[in-house]
Amino acid sequence: MTVSPLQGITHACFELSYLLAFGLEVARLIWPAAGWRVAALSCGFAGVFAHTAYLIFNQPTPAAPYGSLLLLAWVLALFYLYRTVHYAKQPWAVFVLPVVIGLVGLSLALATTAAEAAPVDVPAWLHGERFWGAVHGTLLLLAAVGISVGFLASVMYLVQARRVRNKVNPARVVPLLSLERLETMNRRAVNFAFPLLTAGLFVGTLLLRADHGTAENWLSLKVLSTAGLWVVFLVLLYLRYATNVPGRRLAALSVAAFGLLLVALVASHPFVPGGDR
Amino acid sequence: MNLRAIGCNVGSAPVGLREKLAFDDAKLRRALAELGARYGVEAVILGTCNRVELYLARPEDGAPIHAPLVAEFLGEAHGIPADAVLPHLYERADADAVRHVFRVACGLDSVVVGEDQVAGQVKAAFDAAQSLGATGPLLNALFPAAARASKRVRTETGLAAGQVSVASAAVGFLREVFDRFTDKTVLVIGTGEMGRLTLTHIKELHPAAVLVANRSPERAAAAAAECGGQAVPWDQLDDALVRADIVVSTTGAAEPIVPKRRFAEKVLARRGRRKIAIFDLAVPRDFDPRIDDGDRVCLYNVDDLNRIRDQQLAERLRHVGPAEAVVAEEVEKFVLDWNRRKDGPVIGRLTEEVNRVRDGVVGPLLEKLNGRLTAADRAYVEGAFRLFQNKLLHGPIAALREAGGEAHGGSLRDALMKLFGLKG
Repeated sequence: MTVSPLQGITHACFELSYLLAFGLEVARLIWPAAGWRVAALSCGFAGVFAHTAYLIFNQPTPAAPYGSLLLLAWVLALFYLYRTVHYAKQPWAVFVLPVVIGLVGLSLALATTAAEAAPVDVPAWLHGERFWGAVHGTLLLLAAVGISVGFLASVMYLVQARRVRNKVNPARVVPLLSLERLETMNRRAVNFAFPLLTAGLFVGTLLLRADHGTAENWLSLKVLSTAGLWVVFLVLLYLRYATNVPGRRLAALSVAAFGLLLVALVASHPFVPGGDR
Repeated sequence: MNLRAIGCNVGSAPVGLREKLAFDDAKLRRALAELGARYGVEAVILGTCNRVELYLARPEDGAPIHAPLVAEFLGEAHGIPADAVLPHLYERADADAVRHVFRVACGLDSVVVGEDQVAGQVKAAFDAAQSLGATGPLLNALFPAAARASKRVRTETGLAAGQVSVASAAVGFLREVFDRFTDKTVLVIGTGEMGRLTLTHIKELHPAAVLVANRSPERAAAAAAECGGQAVPWDQLDDALVRADIVVSTTGAAEPIVPKRRFAEKVLARRGRRKIAIFDLAVPRDFDPRIDDGDRVCLYNVDDLNRIRDQQLAERLRHVGPAEAVVAEEVEKFVLDWNRRKDGPVIGRLTEEVNRVRDGVVGPLLEKLNGRLTAADRAYVEGAFRLFQNKLLHGPIAALREAGGEAHGGSLRDALMKLFGLKG
């Protein structure tokens, strides 16, 4: 049996590619020249390629912090590439890549046991409880993507709002999307994430009940932080649609929601085998 | 190259004369046709509010056109004595003319350095002349090259970056707040000149509606009619502020017309989450500055806009040096390319002529030695003559190519043609 050279890809390959792409993008902002963009995009593409190959060959379980962080980082890396290719003038990489790099780094820090890094038995997902576990994980992962995009839009919104408030000369700074556009982006991300988060939580609750979860399980950090995240989203939706709270406060709340998401992702899973650290 | 750029601009001629020399469509057509028929030149006429210039090219061997002839032509076309025109004309020749048109297209010769309208005006002038068949090989190469130089300057330097008028600075700020404008309502309060100018720029964004409020209903109606908007009674100003997304205010009121409390209670509370951008261009100010929160309410005063304009003008001046360097590079490239293009046929003819002479010598020689030479000997003799020819021509051809980018390139080409008896 021949071994593909792609199987030799490690975290370092894509983490370093992303770091290099980020460095080049920052350099492009400081010393604008066409060459930086090509170099940065090449590194970005290389990173996504290596990341994809790593996920294909290692199939980390999304039920564990290690796998879920890696998968979320991968989706955000795709988002970064799409935005950077289509919107050359906007510094998407400067905002998205640190999150991607941080998530990959965090996943590395959490990959402490061999059990976690072991490939998942994919066909097992299609049976009974395993299937619903996969549905639960997928829903929460998709919600996490929405929350992350909302977080990025919120960070950009806060930066842009600060510039607008200080009447900064638009020609002297890196162009960002307008406040209106960023607010719309954040709203859509929240509207996308909330139903998925709700459904994911619902399936998780049923699974925990079916597993006769102990009080300790119900009060685990993962469950509590995910429930907290859901409550924050509910508050966000209420503030957005029922009050006239300024966009800056909503953006700040979205940033806080992302913090809770990180806690939920990093926390060990109470009932999935191999989902603990 | 036999190229001239002759004309006048804001620095050489008063506005009165420039106005008289302006070409409308009909005059332009006539002038371009006349220039071709009378002087046998390729021609492009560039007319903007700051300049009237004629770009004229003739074949290399033709006598160049000079300013007095152009003064006469312009005087005749516009019914002005040539003597009144001539002192205001400048003349640039050959590579200097190339540099001039490149600098004009890049906005380096403009009153507001780096302005981007002129590139479009240069292109439009060329398109008009080309569509009338008034251009030829030189101008057809020159103007696209000018457009390329202009694009390079805009992308590689900061010469055209930012806003250099108060009105365009306002639009720059608006783009930081709003994404789309076709669903926005603009409210103009007062009928000040700066307000009108700013509205002109904002209208280019195609807002959904324009409202005009003024203490005088007559003035409001007149201003609304002028800008295609809708007049709003002064006592409904709060309602109009609730409807508006963008406000331009230029009243002459001695006190703020919208204090903080009034704005918070009667406007902001009824606006929902919608953002509002207010340009308070009045002195004293019309809006209480405390209403600005940089989020739902973005308030800009005339100092904010002036500051951006001044910063941008200063910033542009920093980029003049790099922009001039790009222009110099492009001029050199253009002149070199053009001369090479001219050298190509000369080198071809020279090679052909020497081939003909060589065949005239080698042919009879080989015939005379026929029967005494092997095929290899024949090939050796032919090769030796070819080598001799190549060595002989290498020096002149290399010198011609080298001189391609220099001023004396043309005279060297002429000398070569005379020395080798080549026909033009």
